[in-house]
Amino acid sequence: MSELKRTQFYDIHVKAGATMVDFGGWEMPIQYPEGIVAEHLYTRSVCSLFDVSHMGRLLIEGPERLAFLQHVLSSNAAALDVNQAQYCIIPAEDGSAVDDAYLYRFEEDRFLLVVNAANTDKDLAYFAPIVKNYDCTIKNITDVTVSIAVQGPKSGEMLKVLAGGVEVTKPSRNSLSTMDLEGHTVRIARTGYTAEPIGYELFLKNEDAEWAWNRLCELGAKPAGLGARDTLRMEGMLPLYGDEMGVDEDGKPMPIFALALAKFAVSFDEAKGDFVGREALKKQADAQASFKAKNYSPEAMAALPKRVRPIALVDRGVMRHGMAVYRNGEQIGWVTSGTMIPYFMTEGEGENVRLLPETGKRAIGICYIASDVPLNGEVEVDVRGKRLKAVIPSKHISNNVPPYVVPVMAKHN
Amino acid sequence: MTINPDLKYSRDHEWVKEEDGLFVIGISDFAQDALGDLVFVNLPEVGDAVTAGEAFGDVESVKAVSDLLCPVTGTVAEINEELLDAPEKLNEDPYGAWIIKVENVTASEDLLDAAAYEAFCAEA
Repeated sequence: MSELKRTQFYDIHVKAGATMVDFGGWEMPIQYPEGIVAEHLYTRSVCSLFDVSHMGRLLIEGPERLAFLQHVLSSNAAALDVNQAQYCIIPAEDGSAVDDAYLYRFEEDRFLLVVNAANTDKDLAYFAPIVKNYDCTIKNITDVTVSIAVQGPKSGEMLKVLAGGVEVTKPSRNSLSTMDLEGHTVRIARTGYTAEPIGYELFLKNEDAEWAWNRLCELGAKPAGLGARDTLRMEGMLPLYGDEMGVDEDGKPMPIFALALAKFAVSFDEAKGDFVGREALKKQADAQASFKAKNYSPEAMAALPKRVRPIALVDRGVMRHGMAVYRNGEQIGWVTSGTMIPYFMTEGEGENVRLLPETGKRAIGICYIASDVPLNGEVEVDVRGKRLKAVIPSKHISNNVPPYVVPVMAKHN
Repeated sequence: MTINPDLKYSRDHEWVKEEDGLFVIGISDFAQDALGDLVFVNLPEVGDAVTAGEAFGDVESVKAVSDLLCPVTGTVAEINEELLDAPEKLNEDPYGAWIIKVENVTASEDLLDAAAYEAFCAEA
């Protein structure tokens, strides 16, 4: 294990009794003693802390930084004002993903690009020959900074305490700020990977790591590991590179527009101009729009044969990554992510939603299947030799009204 | 970790108790702790043949699936259906939450008593 990298929080994780695993070359906590189910539910009801310091943090600086980013990212970076962030994908020429990323503009004259830990080296190697053509540089600051995700209904209130009673960012998603918290300069983003209606990601200097973690724990936050991070993002249909992005089980590249959220991550704005993969992505985007109008023409099916969809098991069992999905006996794709995920029963609607003490659990996940499977369509999953019934719902949760995530149960006959 | 002194144990961390000619089988506290939060249990059906050293079902945690290995050869007489809806009982009360009862037992693995099992776990 000696060659594995460790974040500034390693000792804190071990002291808290975390089970440490190799994740993308980093020794990271998969769970703490309370376990993944408790950590998932604590995030949904109170607030969890996730060490996300392993993720690649790259500073893009120099006069032609914007032109470079417009060329290598799917999003329109020119649309970002200072103190705004956007989700984006690093496209390949064929319209598949090299990686997905988040672009932050905390300062006028530089961008921060956060990429997947396991892909950091690959992304840097991919950027290297391209960035040479622009008057700008990429500085990897992963080792000299840390990052903590603070996610859940109470996250905003906890950070407000550290800020001496003021809101740390604007309430809208993707807002950023740079704040003095108890004498420490912290960059704060209203972003996250848990699908929580309220959640933040903090970027700090290495020397502020322990202070931030311990203070947030004192205020009632609890640490959560990569296991809960995975179940939370899965419930929220947030893609993970390697599962819902990259190559499929047959080794074929997965088109970016197989993801519903591609329409928010890819811009064909004139201001952006040409960029890597634009031509392929335009065809995929047209196909996605045509599916939305329930038009499954041969052209659209050829451009986007499969899509990433939620899947819920109807029969007893648990789905896992890689299991085959069938429709009328014909294989139409695979489960890309799946497990048994806990949820709170709720009562009331909209902003009056209340979490009840009762919890349930459901075998849900994400699949990559033939694009023409309709909403609530019935399929079967091969769960270790048994064909189990499953259904394709529109989503697993509703998270548009803060502060609580509300489970959405799949409909089936 | 707790070890129930009245039970016998397999090297695969299942416990066995003989009760009125039936062999009652469950998993040890060591096993449930190593497996983590259990969220699903696959059980055999009553009447199924089970073989010592082979899988008779499996348990799933959030992250992984693990086979349950049968310490005896025989026929499934009863299954604990309560576990289908509440697999967490295996975490909460491993020595109370039996999994299956086996009848017509013709063979058994070489089982450990509580003291030998404790020593076995200490080496694991």
